[in-house]
Amino acid sequence: MNKLSSLPILGLLLRRLTLRHWRSAPRQTVLQILILALGIAVFFSIRLANRAAVASFQNFTGLLTQQSDWQITANAGSLPVSALAEIRDALGSEPIEIIPVVETTGAPPHGKAPEQIGSRRTFHLLGLDLISLQNLPATKEVDRDWFGQNEKTDLWQLLAKPNGVFISGVLAQQEKLRVGDTLPLVVDENVVQLEVTGIIPDSPGRPQTPANLLMLDLPVLQKLAHREGKLDRIEFIVPDGENMAERRAALRAQLTKLGENRWQVFSPEDRRSSAELMTRAFRMNLTILSLIGLLVGLYLIFQSLDGAVMRRREEIAVLRSLGVTEKMIRQAWLLEAALLGIFGGAVGAALGWAGAQFAVRFVGRTVNALYYATSVQSARLDLGEFLAAMFIAVTASLIAGWWPAQQAAKTPPAQILTRQSFDGTANSFWQNFGFAALVALASFGLAQLPPLRFAGVLRFPLGGYLAALGLMISGGILASYLLRGFAKFLRPWGKSSVTAKIATSHLRQPSGRHRLATAGLLCAVTMAAGMIILVASFETTMRGWIEKTFQADLYVSSDGAQSASTQNRISPATWREIVNDPDIAEANVMQATETSIHGISTMLVGVDVNFSRRHDNLTWLQPPLDETVFDFTKNELLALVSESFSERFQVRRGGQVTLTTPHGAKQMTVAGIFCDYGNERGSMVVDRRHFAAWFGDELVTSLILVTKPGVLPEAVQNEWSTKYPGLTVLTNRYLRTEILRIFRQTFSVTYALELIGIVVAVIGLGMTLSSILLDRRSELTTLRALGWRRREMALATAVEGWLLSVCGVAMGMAVSLGLGWILIYVINKQSFGWTLQFQIPWGQLTGLGGLVIAAGTVVAYGVGRWGSQLPADREE
Amino acid sequence: MSKSAEPKIISESAVVLQAERVTKSYGGRQVLQEISLTLRAGERVALVGPSGCGKTTLLNCLGGVDRADGGSIKINGIALETLSSDELAAERRRRIGTIFQFFHLLPTLTAFENVELPLQLLGVATAERTQRVNALLERVKLSHRAQGLPTQLSGGEMQRVAIARALAHQPGLILADEPTGNLDSVNGENILDLLAELSDETRTAMLLVTHSEEATRICHRIIQLRDGVIVNETRRTSA
Repeated sequence: MNKLSSLPILGLLLRRLTLRHWRSAPRQTVLQILILALGIAVFFSIRLANRAAVASFQNFTGLLTQQSDWQITANAGSLPVSALAEIRDALGSEPIEIIPVVETTGAPPHGKAPEQIGSRRTFHLLGLDLISLQNLPATKEVDRDWFGQNEKTDLWQLLAKPNGVFISGVLAQQEKLRVGDTLPLVVDENVVQLEVTGIIPDSPGRPQTPANLLMLDLPVLQKLAHREGKLDRIEFIVPDGENMAERRAALRAQLTKLGENRWQVFSPEDRRSSAELMTRAFRMNLTILSLIGLLVGLYLIFQSLDGAVMRRREEIAVLRSLGVTEKMIRQAWLLEAALLGIFGGAVGAALGWAGAQFAVRFVGRTVNALYYATSVQSARLDLGEFLAAMFIAVTASLIAGWWPAQQAAKTPPAQILTRQSFDGTANSFWQNFGFAALVALASFGLAQLPPLRFAGVLRFPLGGYLAALGLMISGGILASYLLRGFAKFLRPWGKSSVTAKIATSHLRQPSGRHRLATAGLLCAVTMAAGMIILVASFETTMRGWIEKTFQADLYVSSDGAQSASTQNRISPATWREIVNDPDIAEANVMQATETSIHGISTMLVGVDVNFSRRHDNLTWLQPPLDETVFDFTKNELLALVSESFSERFQVRRGGQVTLTTPHGAKQMTVAGIFCDYGNERGSMVVDRRHFAAWFGDELVTSLILVTKPGVLPEAVQNEWSTKYPGLTVLTNRYLRTEILRIFRQTFSVTYALELIGIVVAVIGLGMTLSSILLDRRSELTTLRALGWRRREMALATAVEGWLLSVCGVAMGMAVSLGLGWILIYVINKQSFGWTLQFQIPWGQLTGLGGLVIAAGTVVAYGVGRWGSQLPADREE
Repeated sequence: MSKSAEPKIISESAVVLQAERVTKSYGGRQVLQEISLTLRAGERVALVGPSGCGKTTLLNCLGGVDRADGGSIKINGIALETLSSDELAAERRRRIGTIFQFFHLLPTLTAFENVELPLQLLGVATAERTQRVNALLERVKLSHRAQGLPTQLSGGEMQRVAIARALAHQPGLILADEPTGNLDSVNGENILDLLAELSDETRTAMLLVTHSEEATRICHRIIQLRDGVIVNETRRTSA
C-alpha cells in the first residue's frame, strides 16, 4: 500500500485550512499570538535584564588597555604597592606588561531634597598609571590619542593635575562636558571637583566605553580614595608571539608561587564568572517567577487550540473521511501550534526587548542594592537569547498544542458527520483521587529534600520547586471532586430555578474541559495567593527585624555609597570628629570588607559587639552561650554570623571558619547566629578593633549613632548635611521607611506577574466556556426551541462560570497555604537562608478570591451571551 | 424521470464491495446483526429502512470510518478489518467517495478547491488536477460557481459540489448518506439524475442510504433494513 507523503499534504492543510481560518478570524488569531507573546515577553525581558545586569559587571581595564591574561588580588584587603617591584624583579627581563589598578565607585553629590537610597548614578573610578598606559603596545597599535586633546594637556601637564579625569565620549555628550570642565563627585566622605582632562578615545573593534567609567591617574585616585601605597589588583598582559599558551601558563605558575598565601591569581573570565555566581540564585528565582507568565500563556494557547478543534471538528471529520490519516491531522495541528509559537515568539521577543529596557532598571536596582555596583540602564538584544526565546516559544506552544492535536486526530468522523454527540474529553487521569493523594504525599517528601548544591555553597531548591508543582497538580485533580460535590450540594437550588438546574446539571459530571478550566484557575490563584503569603510573611518578619535592629537615632555613611559593593569609606579624622560631637551619646563604628571563604565571596564586618549587646538589637537564631564574644580581651577568634552565612557555609554555633587577613589566617569560631535580612551573601561579624588591627586601617563604612537625650536627630541631620556634604545622614524613621520601600520595590515585579497570571486564567475560563457552548450547540438549540431567552442562557453560563470560579478559588486558596509554606520554609530558606514568620493576610486573600470569582462570573456571562447567539446546530 | 436515470441491468461485473456477517453494537445495543451484501462495479443499491435501523452505521462501517465488531468487509478484495487506521485512511482516499446529507463542504475552501482536495491528497499533478476539477464542475454544471465559497452556494449547488468531490479521485465505490435529504424535491430529483448519470459513465458502484422512495428509482437493488437486519431485498430491472 502506498504511503502518503506527509509534507505536501501538511503544506496543503496549512495553506488551505489553517491559514484561512486564521485569516477568517483575524482578531482571534492576533489574540492567540499576543497571549503567547505576552508570556514570552515577560520571560525574555527578565532574561535580557538579567544578562545586562551580569554583563555590567565588567573588567573596565580591558576596555582601556586590552584584555589582560591574569590578574592578582589580595586574599584579604589590598595589595601593597611594594608588590609591584617584587613581581618585576621575579619576572626579570620577560616582556610582560604589568598594570597596577585602583578601583572604586563614586556618585554625584546629593541635592537638597530628600531622595531614595541608591537612586543616584554610580560611577566606576579606575586608577591606571597613565605613563604605562601610553606605552602599552595595544594603545600604540590603535593610535589612541590620549593626550594633547587640547594644547594645554600634554602628558606632563596632565600628570601635574591633582584631580584630572578622563571621561567617556558618551558621558561628555550626555552631560555636555568638555576638556577643562569640572565634574563634582563624592568619593569617600569628600565632594571632589574632578577636572575633565580628556575624552577616553573609542577604538574600532572594541566595545564603547560606558558612560559611568571615569579614568584617573593611579596616584590621583589613590589619594582621593585614601589608598596611598595600596592597589586593588595588578593585571598582566603576555605579549603576542610563539608558544603563547605555554608562556601564559608559566606566568600563572610563577605568580601563584610568588604570591603564596598573599594573593590569588585568576583570569578576567574568572571574575565575570564569580559575578554570575554571586547573582545566580537571585536571577534563577526571577527567571522561574517569569515563567508564570509563560505557563499561563501556555494554558491559554491550550484552551484556544482546544476550542479550535471543537469548532473545526466537522472539517477534521471530512478530512478523515477523505482519507487524511490521524497522524497527518495530528501533525497539522502541531504545525499550527508551532506556527503560533514562531509568531508568538517573534512578537514576544520584540515586546520582551522593549520590556527589558524597564525590567533592567528593576534588576539593576536590586543587583545594586544586594550584590555589586551597576548603573545598567538598557538591555541589548542578544542573538543567543533571542534564539532561546524562539525555541522556548515553539516548544511551549507544541506542548500546549499536544493535547488538542491528539483530540483532533482522534475525532471520530462517523460520529461527527452523523451529528451524534461526542465527548472527546473523558480522561480518567483527572478523576483519580488515589493519584492526587500520591502526588500530594510525594510533594511533601520532595519538600524535605536538601537543596542542590553547586560551586561549593550555591543552592538551588529543586525539591521545593517540584513539591510546589506537585501540590498544584494534586490540587487540580482534587478540584474536580470539589466541583462535583459543590454541584450536587446546589442541586436543590434547581427546584426553584431552571437556570441553576441547567448549570449544575453540567457540573455534576464535569467534562475534561470543566476540570481543566478549574485547574487553570486553581494554578493562577494558588501562585498569586502563595506569593501574597510569602510577601506578607516577609514584610511582617522584616518589620519585626527593623524594629529590633534599627534602634539608633542616626545612620551615617559616605554619600558616594550607592550600592552593596561600594568601597567608599569615611576617614578616621572625620568619623572621630562625628563620634565626639557633643550631641552624640553613643556610637557604633562599622568597618566592612568583602572577603572570600573557600573562594566564595561574603562580607566581613567589624563592629562594637558590645553596642549590640547593650541595645539588644540582634534577633538571635542561635544566641551566644556565654558573654565571651562580647569581651574584647577574649573575642579575637570569635565571630557572630548571619543566618545566610550559616546556611551558605553550612556552619552552626561552635563551628569553625578559616578567615584570611593581611595578618595571616584566623581560625574563627562561630559564637552565635543572628537574623539578617539585608544581605543574602551572609556576614561574619567580629569586634572592630580586631578588624582594624588585621587590615591595618580604620576607614569605616558607616556609623550608627545615638543622640543625647533632648537632641533632635533631625536637627543634627540638618546641621551635618551642610557640614559634611560628602556624607549621607539618615534618621531612624527615614531609614526604616527606605528599607521597606526597597523591599517592596524588590517584589514589585511579582505583583505584575501575578496580575498577568490571574487575567490569563480568567480569559482561559472564558475560552473554555466558549468551547463548552460550541460543544453544546444542539442543547442550546433545544433550549431555544423550548422557549428559553438569550438572557436566560447567558445566566446559566454565568452560574456555570461562577461555580467553576468558586471551586478554582476555594481549592486554589487551600493549596496556596501549602505553597506558601513551601515558599517560606523550603524555597526561600534554601535559596537565601532567611527564616520568615508564616503570616496569612486574610484580607488580601479574600480580596483576591472575590475578584477572581467576580471576574470569572462576568466573563462567563459574556460568553453566555455570545453562545446564545450561535446559529442552530441542526435544522429541525 | 429522465431516461438516463433508469437503472441498467448489471451483468456479472467485478465485485467492488463484499460484506459478510457484519455486526456492530453501541453501548450493549446490537445495531447491525450479521449483515451481508455485495456491490458490483456500476451497480447502484438503495439501503432503506426506518430511523435508527442501522443504515448510517452500516454505511460508516462499509466506508471504513467506523469499525465493525464482527464479520468481514472487503473493498476490491481488501479486507478492511485487517487494515490499520492509516491503511484504512489510504483506502478511503483511493477507492471510496462519500456524499453526506449535510454536504460537509469545507467552509474555508472554494467550490473548486473542495473538489480539488481529494486529488491533492493523492498527489495528482497540478495541471491534471485543474483539468479534472474543471471537467467535473462542468459536468455538474457549476463551472460558473467554481470560486464561490460554500456559504455563497445554494443547497443544491453545495450537494453538486459534494458529488463532484466524491467523484474527483475516480473511486470504485460511492457511499451516499441521504444525498437528497436536505434538498427540495426539484433539486433532489436533479441530484439523483446526476448521480445515476455519473455512476453509469464511470461504472462506479453506489450505495445510497435513503428514506425517500423517490431516491430508489435510480437503483438496481433495494435493501430493506429493520432493527439491524436485512428483511427484504428487491431487484429492479427497469424503472
